[in-house]
Amino acid sequence: MDKQRLLRNGPSRMDEWMSTSSTVATPSWIGTALRIASARPSFAAGYIIVFVAVLAGALAPLVAPYNPIEADPSQFLQPPNRLHWLGTDAVGMDIFSRVLYGPRIDITIAVLGTMVSATVGCLVGAWVGYFSRAGNFRSRIAFLIMRLADVLQAFPVFVFAIALVASLGQSIQTVVFAIAFVNIPIYLRLMRSQVMAIREMRYVEASLVAGMSDMQTILRHVIPNAMGPALAQLSVNVGWSILLTAGLSFVGAGVRAPSPEWGSMIATGFQNVVTGEWWPSVFPGLALAITVFGFSLVGNSVEVFGDPVKIRRLIRDVTLRERTRAARRRA
Amino acid sequence: MTRIISFLGQRLLFIVPQLFGILLVSFFLIKSIPGDPAVLMLGPMASTDAVVSLRTKLGLDHALPIQFWHFLVNLVHGDLGTSWQTTRPVLEDLLQRFPATLELVTLGLLGAIIIGVPLGVASAFDEKGILGRVAGVYGLTAGSLPDFWLALVLIFVFYTILQIVPAPLGRLDFAILPPPTISGFLIFDSIAAGDWAALGSALTHLCLPVLTLSLINAGPILKMTQSTMDRMLQSDFSRYEVLSGLPHRMVVRHALRNSLPSIVTIISVLYGYLLGGAVLVEIVFSWGGAGQYAVQGVLNSDIYPVLGFVLFSAIFSLIVYLIVDIVYVAIDPRIGR
Repeated sequence: MDKQRLLRNGPSRMDEWMSTSSTVATPSWIGTALRIASARPSFAAGYIIVFVAVLAGALAPLVAPYNPIEADPSQFLQPPNRLHWLGTDAVGMDIFSRVLYGPRIDITIAVLGTMVSATVGCLVGAWVGYFSRAGNFRSRIAFLIMRLADVLQAFPVFVFAIALVASLGQSIQTVVFAIAFVNIPIYLRLMRSQVMAIREMRYVEASLVAGMSDMQTILRHVIPNAMGPALAQLSVNVGWSILLTAGLSFVGAGVRAPSPEWGSMIATGFQNVVTGEWWPSVFPGLALAITVFGFSLVGNSVEVFGDPVKIRRLIRDVTLRERTRAARRRA
Repeated sequence: MTRIISFLGQRLLFIVPQLFGILLVSFFLIKSIPGDPAVLMLGPMASTDAVVSLRTKLGLDHALPIQFWHFLVNLVHGDLGTSWQTTRPVLEDLLQRFPATLELVTLGLLGAIIIGVPLGVASAFDEKGILGRVAGVYGLTAGSLPDFWLALVLIFVFYTILQIVPAPLGRLDFAILPPPTISGFLIFDSIAAGDWAALGSALTHLCLPVLTLSLINAGPILKMTQSTMDRMLQSDFSRYEVLSGLPHRMVVRHALRNSLPSIVTIISVLYGYLLGGAVLVEIVFSWGGAGQYAVQGVLNSDIYPVLGFVLFSAIFSLIVYLIVDIVYVAIDPRIGR
């Protein structure tokens, strides 16, 4: 590490800060995480919410008191009580169990969809950005790809997603595909604009002069350096995809009704809400909102960790808090 | 001025191939949805002969590219095809439903601006104050609420419990005759006809869906205002103003003035998005708007309503972006000089 630069500019990256801070004897990830959490409790809340939601989905078969798709007609529309913590819906399915099973479908679909779109979008975006000023056949293909992205983005997202699901047949795979497809242009654009700047860097030139092929250079040097904004987008995008999945199921174009999915649960409880039985719709909606909230908080934190200016502000806040606390302890 | 005109000309030139691309993609996408419109129209009991003759009548027996060509030719003559669900020309249907959506979306967006911009400014103006804290929490939670769920909760609170708004079924009470259609916007039409009962009914029906859209969409506006204001207050001109001893209020006002272009951008993006994005709210309130029409079309392999909707919304976004470009010239003296 360059000591001179550190002294001049102060720590600008996490690892530099961890190794220079005096308050902790041996820097550990847990210690750092706790210190950040004390200054930005919302970050900690985000990671906890996402962790709990994933855990709920993973452990649902062990924890859920009832079978999520087994209806007990004698117990229909029970308000929340001791046997059914969150009540039952119109056909007598236990809402608590169904809410617990929800992440299995919603988070899985959203994460898979986001992963596929980020992978495809980033690879194609890097290729397009790298060759768009090449002035040959490939730059013309790059131009065509961008115009295609324009066309796809001009669509009303929701109608487009429904049409995709409808034309491919209703199943979890097609919902994943639809979500991946409508998200690709986001990553394509982010990556392209980054790569177009990086393309002009000396190290790219050096790599080419050293005998690497275009593809090798893209994969080894361009993509790793252009990934930042796309990574920051990931978590927010997962939250947004959960909302889209639920919306698709709400209109009946996503996951089919008896499956324990939050959006379709809200849809089936719709009529009951109007007549006063609020619990079949309100609880899955709350679970949905809190989960999306968690993912967007995680997204915020990733954005801060990836931005040198913002991370400097965070480090300043953490140090300031620790100093005032230490001063108070001394007094 | 000439530069603006040539800029607008370039825009228009570019929009034709783009519209063509959008129509092409949506045509083949909707056509690939399983389900034969002729069979759906005649019902499962129809004879094979009847289905075949209807297919010929509808032009469904041609190859897809030829069908697309026919659609384009009709389009040039102002015919958007017929919806088999409503058995009416799509153009008529859309002219009736588009204003419904537009009224809802415009008022919703206005509400979002009224909530979002002041809160965003407040959080920059006075971070530790009550408004600033509300803005902070709102900025964090905004964007996590599903709009259709929020709509349901609002219906439960204001209709089921408090009973101060009418049932979420359409734009008017059943007992009230709609005013003669002039613009399609119920507010304007009922005022023009002097029909105050219809106006009152339309306004009470608008309350909840507009509130839903406002609360949801204030989030992005708030965030954009917050972050741009933050950047402006950290920039050199603001620091210089602070160092020169100008009052805090004035510094904030100048920062807001300089943030306007970004705020206008996010508003225009939201406007274009909401046209199709308000579908779920439309469905919850049985609004009968254009978005709901398109979704019904997709779910029932009714191709022309979908194509018509896509075309309308693309043209609408184009108009919004054109207006925004003109607004930019008005609010940013650096552009258009």
